Amino acid sequence: MSNEPSDELKREIKELIMSTLNIADINPEEVDDDEPLFGGNNALTLDSVDGIEIIMALQRKYGIRLNDQNLARQIIQSINSIAEFIVKEKASS
Amino acid sequence: MTTIPFNHKMGAHCESGTVTSLVNHAGLDLTEPMVFGIASGIFFGYFHKHRSFTFPTFIVRNRPGDMRKNIQKRLGVKFNTFSFSREEEGMKKLDELLLQGIPVATQVDFYYLDYVPSWERAHVNVHFMVVIGKEEDDYIISDSYFPKPERLKEESLRRGRFAGGNMAPKGFLFYTARVPEQPDLRRPILKGIEKACFNMLSLPVPFIGIKGIRLFAKRVVDWPTFARDTEHLSHEVMKINILLEDQGTGGAGFRYMYATFLQQASSLLHNPKLKELSQQLMTIGDGWREISLFAARIGKNRELGPEKLKELSTLIMDRADVEEKFFKELKKSIK
Repeated sequence: MSNEPSDELKREIKELIMSTLNIADINPEEVDDDEPLFGGNNALTLDSVDGIEIIMALQRKYGIRLNDQNLARQIIQSINSIAEFIVKEKASS
Repeated sequence: MTTIPFNHKMGAHCESGTVTSLVNHAGLDLTEPMVFGIASGIFFGYFHKHRSFTFPTFIVRNRPGDMRKNIQKRLGVKFNTFSFSREEEGMKKLDELLLQGIPVATQVDFYYLDYVPSWERAHVNVHFMVVIGKEEDDYIISDSYFPKPERLKEESLRRGRFAGGNMAPKGFLFYTARVPEQPDLRRPILKGIEKACFNMLSLPVPFIGIKGIRLFAKRVVDWPTFARDTEHLSHEVMKINILLEDQGTGGAGFRYMYATFLQQASSLLHNPKLKELSQQLMTIGDGWREISLFAARIGKNRELGPEKLKELSTLIMDRADVEEKFFKELKKSIK
């Protein structure tokens, strides 16, 4: 089985973030998978409060725990890093 | 001078991460949650009025320095510690220890750490990190908040170690002098849990432990009386999130880290009840995280009227109730 996150998963994550944060004026396609979600040139420019909302939404939807804030900060850097973490967690569970 | 071979690891919290790195380097295989648990790191204290703070605040861990002291007392580890009144002496001592190949933990004001992005820097006088080498004018730092060792200018380290103000570091440093070989962790774990339960349930002080959480819940509705204006109040309410989630707490005001400790303790003590309590504490931590988020949201949106603060108060009071039940069960589980 491939450990590469699928495009479908990445789209799902984008939709989850946008519904969690009530973002309606951006299409998922506009969100770059690699660009930082916080302070970068991404279509989504988020702040630390959004970060906690995303962490809690990921926990609810995928059952993954991002308890350590230092680790969480690295994982929610971009769509790709979130997707990779979910695939890794699913593989190890 | 070169850099001491040192296994750099990220940690959740600077003091428990630093103590863990040092004892690991000396050959004692302990996880950060185990260090935190044995050291009775979990705590709660609410300060409505205090000479050190200009606004009500709270703490979710024991006093800075207590983790090192408790690990020393309960595990038989020996740390040598030094403080300095003169900067030159403090820097000289550090260099001498590095030359001997000894990694050295130092207390610094976080603000002076060049490798921290400027927007994250704040004056916090009780940040701990390990100095593992010196190359030309740079010290090599193993800081458990960062994924890899960082470089720090000599002048910045000096300013950080000798910053003034409340809880000034005074050049404080410590290093491992001795660790026990294969210590039996069972007794230290039990002692650590016993003391944590005492702190949370029985300290005869109205602002500490469960009583402190209840006081926080009751008094948070009065916070507007301390604030200069809405902007100030919003800043302070949002700080609840920072104190619970963003200051190396491992999430949810250290509750997740303590839950991990209980899980590890359950295996070592063959006590399945501790595993069950670990899961309970994870859920309790989720409730603290909800509080973080709620506080951050109302602060960000400037929704700071009496109803919202009452709602926040109710959420906090609920944590007092569940934590009281939890710590009573924890105390019983080790009898």
